[in-house]
Amino acid sequence: MSTTIDHKGILSDSTATLARVIRAVDQAEAELDVTPNLSFGVSSNVSADLVSLFLRKHALLHGKRLNCEVGGHDDVLNDVSRFAEAGVKNMLYIPFFDNLVPNFETRIDSFFDQDIEAIHSDFIMRTKLMFEKAKTMSMVYVSTFHLYDFAVDAGANDRRKMVLNMFNAKLRDLASGFPNVRLLDVGTILQTISTEKAFDRRFYFLNTAPYRPVFLDELARCIALASRGFGTYFYKALVLDCDNTLWGGVIGEDLMDGIKLDPHSFPGCVFWQAQQAFLGLERSGTLLCLCSKNNPEDVDQVLTSYPNQVLKDEQFILKKVNWQPKVENLKAIAQELNIGLDSLVFVDDSSFECESVRAALPQVRVVQVPSSLQHYPKTIQEIRELFIPAGIMDESRSKTNQYAKILKASAGSADFDSHDDYLRTLDLQVTLDRNSPKDIPRISELSMKSNQFNLTTLRQDVGDITRRMASSDNRVYSLKVSDRFGEAGLTGVAIVSWEDEIATVEAFLMSCRVIGRGVEFSIWSQIAKDAAEKGCRFLQASYLPSAKNLQVSDFYDRLGLSRIASTDAGTYYMKPIDRFTPPTVDYIKVIYGI
Amino acid sequence: MEFEDTLRDVMSAVFAVPTEVITPDSSMDTIEGWDSLKHMNLVIALEDEFGVSIPDEDAADITSYALVKVVLEDLMKA
Repeated sequence: MSTTIDHKGILSDSTATLARVIRAVDQAEAELDVTPNLSFGVSSNVSADLVSLFLRKHALLHGKRLNCEVGGHDDVLNDVSRFAEAGVKNMLYIPFFDNLVPNFETRIDSFFDQDIEAIHSDFIMRTKLMFEKAKTMSMVYVSTFHLYDFAVDAGANDRRKMVLNMFNAKLRDLASGFPNVRLLDVGTILQTISTEKAFDRRFYFLNTAPYRPVFLDELARCIALASRGFGTYFYKALVLDCDNTLWGGVIGEDLMDGIKLDPHSFPGCVFWQAQQAFLGLERSGTLLCLCSKNNPEDVDQVLTSYPNQVLKDEQFILKKVNWQPKVENLKAIAQELNIGLDSLVFVDDSSFECESVRAALPQVRVVQVPSSLQHYPKTIQEIRELFIPAGIMDESRSKTNQYAKILKASAGSADFDSHDDYLRTLDLQVTLDRNSPKDIPRISELSMKSNQFNLTTLRQDVGDITRRMASSDNRVYSLKVSDRFGEAGLTGVAIVSWEDEIATVEAFLMSCRVIGRGVEFSIWSQIAKDAAEKGCRFLQASYLPSAKNLQVSDFYDRLGLSRIASTDAGTYYMKPIDRFTPPTVDYIKVIYGI
Repeated sequence: MEFEDTLRDVMSAVFAVPTEVITPDSSMDTIEGWDSLKHMNLVIALEDEFGVSIPDEDAADITSYALVKVVLEDLMKA
């Protein structure tokens, strides 16, 4: 076989034959020439080993090399221990309904209620134990239960479906108590690929291997999405063109009467559905922006007065409706929102605009509206998946509101004599919580995505934070900021470790939403006091430069710590706690929480 | 690619061995990686590659190069 094969092409072709996928994965991994930088354990009560091939494949598509450990047969509790010992940080658990006890599904009709009850409670006990054991893992993905034989009977007496629903409801309930557990909805996967293609009864009988490769491939793809490309991207803003993206036609030419947008008829309904999906994203925390070559008053007229327009003016955090090149507008959007270009997804119908953005700003994810509109819903689904990986945290909801408050506040600040005078009117309040378990997901999320105000750029997953909170010589501080405009939520994190006489600030990071108001200085007397109570005499901290955190390079100088060393790798600080006086911020009320 | 070249190529990919290792005498006994799990992958990979459906009574039995070849040739003739 020739060695000049297009691996990437084969890997991204979901119809490639199994032999070609195996070959392409092996060779692409060899060519990537790095040691595996991602580890996954797979555990199941059936044989699903082939999923590891597809996990490796999808990791490669995101430039990662994944090492996969496959557990023993139906031995999940021991698997978790083994994975933990081997340093495996992520796992996939595939519990197969029919094999909870042998032939469970087929026997449901003949079982007595108490038999099922016993199997149910055994399942609860084992699952709880497993989640508890896997608590320090970064992520545990669990596929939901599904039936293997489908009955057409939709009647309420279909006992199999009732029992299935009972098990799935309990699985959801159990998972909700563990922030690192994510459920993968197998029902949806089966709908997209059909059970005929998903299952292989022949090998289920011969080897307890129920799934065909196409199912396992799709399951692995869902994990890639749920993990945001195995941690390779984190999109925050969706930048939308208007004509032929939000509505059919060109507003400047077709005018209000001519554009296509309504719930009931094609093609207007395709755009109407697209807008509904974008609205859903906005409600889940995605920032929406407009970037359109139009007269601003034409677009505003649609936003305010077009009867079927779904997205209103207030849903857009920024509007760049002008005749400037889109590349310039995208740069301005990133700058004004204080986020990186790599946090933007740009949607446009024009090949010219898409190509020019791709060429000039390769960091921006570009999505083109398909020319055949029947395929637009699929594209919308792909856009949704970029933003909503698996479950949304409450804190992320309605971020548009929070950012809008900032923009309003910074516009208002011009009227005051001094910045401090302005800040004084804000009624700023900071709540400083210590080791607060319910904040773990949001703390981790913030540590993963904060770039600019981040002193050490220490990325911490849910497992890392959980471990630190559990240890006696670490403290994880979380900051919640509010002012008279409203709650900004959890927007800052400090991680401090104590060893002998030295308290070390391992991480300090804040969301850019709350920067510039002195909040970043307000918490340090408490942190120093805690350290002193733990017997520490010195406070130690460091600034580690990254591509994005230049703005905080002198933060610890401004905080009043003394520089002890400075190299290319970082600047290091130390100060005796009894001589440490952080800047006073008398207009912020600090509340010491739990 | 000739039929037998493709066959050797599929087997070498599935069992993670160089193509030269696959000979007309190869079987579950001579190839170390050919266990029951890899055997399933082989059957699926052959079906994918040759566009055939191997009946369950044959699926478990084609445990040597020669048997695989016979079954595939039969299926493709049909």
